[in-house]
Amino acid sequence: MSSSLDKILANPRVWRGRDQAGRRAGLASGYPELDRHLPGGGWPRESLTEVLTEHYGIGELRLLMPALARLSTETSTQDFTEPGWIAWVAPPFQPYPPALQQCGIDLSRMLIVRPRDDSEILWSAEQALSSGTCAAVLLWPSILDDQASRRLQLAAEKGRSWAIAFRPLAARRQPSAAALRLELHPDGQATRVHILKSRGGRPAVITQLL
Amino acid sequence: MGAKRPVLHRQVADRLWFCVWLPQLPLEANRSSEAATAIVEEQHGIHRILLADAEASAAGVMPGQAANAALALLPTLQLEERSLLREQQALEGLASWLERFSSFISIADHDVLVLEIAGSVRLFGGLQELRQRMSKGLRELGLTAALAIAPTPLAATWMARAGRRACIRDDTNLGAALRKLPLFCMDWPAGLCEALTGMGVTTVGDCLRLPREGFTRRFGAEYLLQLDRALGHLPDPRNSWRAPERFCVDYEMTEEQTDRKLLLNICRELLLSHEQFLLARQLGTQRVCFSFFHLKGPATELRLGCARAERSAGRWLELLGIRFEQLVLPGPVIAVRLRSGMAQPLQAESGALSFHGKPGATAPRFSITQLAERLIARIGDQSVQAASMVAEHRPDYAWRSQSLLADWSGTTLDTPEQSAQRPLWMLPEPALLPADSGYPVHQGCRLRLIDGPERLETGWWDEDGISRDYYTAAGTDGRRLWVFRNRNRTSSWYLHGYFG
Repeated sequence: MSSSLDKILANPRVWRGRDQAGRRAGLASGYPELDRHLPGGGWPRESLTEVLTEHYGIGELRLLMPALARLSTETSTQDFTEPGWIAWVAPPFQPYPPALQQCGIDLSRMLIVRPRDDSEILWSAEQALSSGTCAAVLLWPSILDDQASRRLQLAAEKGRSWAIAFRPLAARRQPSAAALRLELHPDGQATRVHILKSRGGRPAVITQLL
Repeated sequence: MGAKRPVLHRQVADRLWFCVWLPQLPLEANRSSEAATAIVEEQHGIHRILLADAEASAAGVMPGQAANAALALLPTLQLEERSLLREQQALEGLASWLERFSSFISIADHDVLVLEIAGSVRLFGGLQELRQRMSKGLRELGLTAALAIAPTPLAATWMARAGRRACIRDDTNLGAALRKLPLFCMDWPAGLCEALTGMGVTTVGDCLRLPREGFTRRFGAEYLLQLDRALGHLPDPRNSWRAPERFCVDYEMTEEQTDRKLLLNICRELLLSHEQFLLARQLGTQRVCFSFFHLKGPATELRLGCARAERSAGRWLELLGIRFEQLVLPGPVIAVRLRSGMAQPLQAESGALSFHGKPGATAPRFSITQLAERLIARIGDQSVQAASMVAEHRPDYAWRSQSLLADWSGTTLDTPEQSAQRPLWMLPEPALLPADSGYPVHQGCRLRLIDGPERLETGWWDEDGISRDYYTAAGTDGRRLWVFRNRNRTSSWYLHGYFG
């Protein structure tokens, strides 16, 4: 039964939406509950992810830390390249190095950029993404229109880097080229995650995540 | 002057001196326009003509004339005050250009350079070839020069001054050639020359024929010494001139410019000569600074930094391009200066060995240092930082950020694993929280303390000692906060970070 099903699925004329993004394995988020809802079983690398929150500091960093820690220490076994850098563009507060180290981030491969205005934030993020040396670029733009998100998405693909934009909840209504859009809500002591948009996946709500 | 000549030691035949005399240097270094120009110098309170160019001379302007007289002859005459500093700069510029021909260059006088070229003759394919190259280069630099070659530096200088296109390679011919030279080429004081001429002495040869004792008594030992040195009877040590290892060149324009394209082109020119300068020394630099001078107001400065020593004009130009777009020039620019930072030996870059190069894999577009340089060039040095840990219990001191241009390798300290959880977000300064019956209040709501206290009481040895109880608090908006209470008399609450 299963073998005949496999045969049908192996037929190139059968197109499955999930496979589009799922062909590339995702980056395990460290939260199995979340991974199950993401196409490819993890964060979509080489694309733009948007995280929408009402305030900064409700768990948006904790959500990303396991994946970032792996990125910052993991050496690719295929071409023995060094692990990539993690760039923080315009963080709202100071990312605190002792806490980052507790989470397993390699501080010597971290870059903090504090641009003066919006155009510089996008420019810096685009430079970092397309440079090919940053494994992940975290950015806090105050505005990010459709066109800018498309540029970031392209830069991420070009530099094979993971872009994560943190935005206020109000940005939910704006169109975006991001491959994945999440919304974070505090839920008692835990956090509720809404998957608003997921390329190759489905919207979902995950309660009690963090 | 035969009998008591000093004993002839091994002579200077293994040395060959090339003299470059620049008779028109005051004119060429100071002139600022193509119009008929004369250089004036103040003598006893009167401005007198020192040197006039061909056009002015044709109109009758002569050295020694009063400036007013010269202006009467040629009303359009451009008068320029002589600047010894500018002449010195021009001479040093020439000296550094000449460094390609010889490793030993000496500035002999305010308008004379001597080069030791015995070792370079073969390299440049003979004396004639060397001389031709040099004259061609001097012409391109816009300098009028008289060249002469002789086994001693003084002899070469005198011959150049006498206008002889001499090329004497042998000591044996030196005496005969020198004897024919007129007195003025030695550049002795006017009084001395007059006295000698009055005695019927008109050439160097005549001087040599005078008795040595009498010559010394009448005119001083110094001049006899010069004669002996010119003939190679006495050694003539010279100071070697070295180009400064820091590049600083001005590009002056005849009128103010606002055209940014033109300015960028000038910067490009400057960077190219900067590259040449560093290339000749196998050096690079990490910083360059452009100054744009305005007629009014202070100069606008533009500093560029590189993470590694760099000399390639292309790289600097790339960084300049990023910054120049945003540069605000308060007014038109009259001159541009390029100053380089400390020069340092270039580090060779080793290419990466790729054992398992995947066919589809693409090399990074640029390295992290290049990325950092690009970012710094656009948004400033202080805005791009790396962070590292410091072994310290006070939360504010437990880390530091440093410029990315600093050597960042190995600065992270290995601190023992801390058991207490630290927040991912830190406020730049602890923020005072209002209190409600002993509990902290954040955004109008009383906080619930869910973890703590963690007592940090340290730093008594410096000004900034702390004594705090840290708690993890839960706010109503779902945030977890890192708050502390000061253990001093006020015992007020502060917010220090978010657990993010």
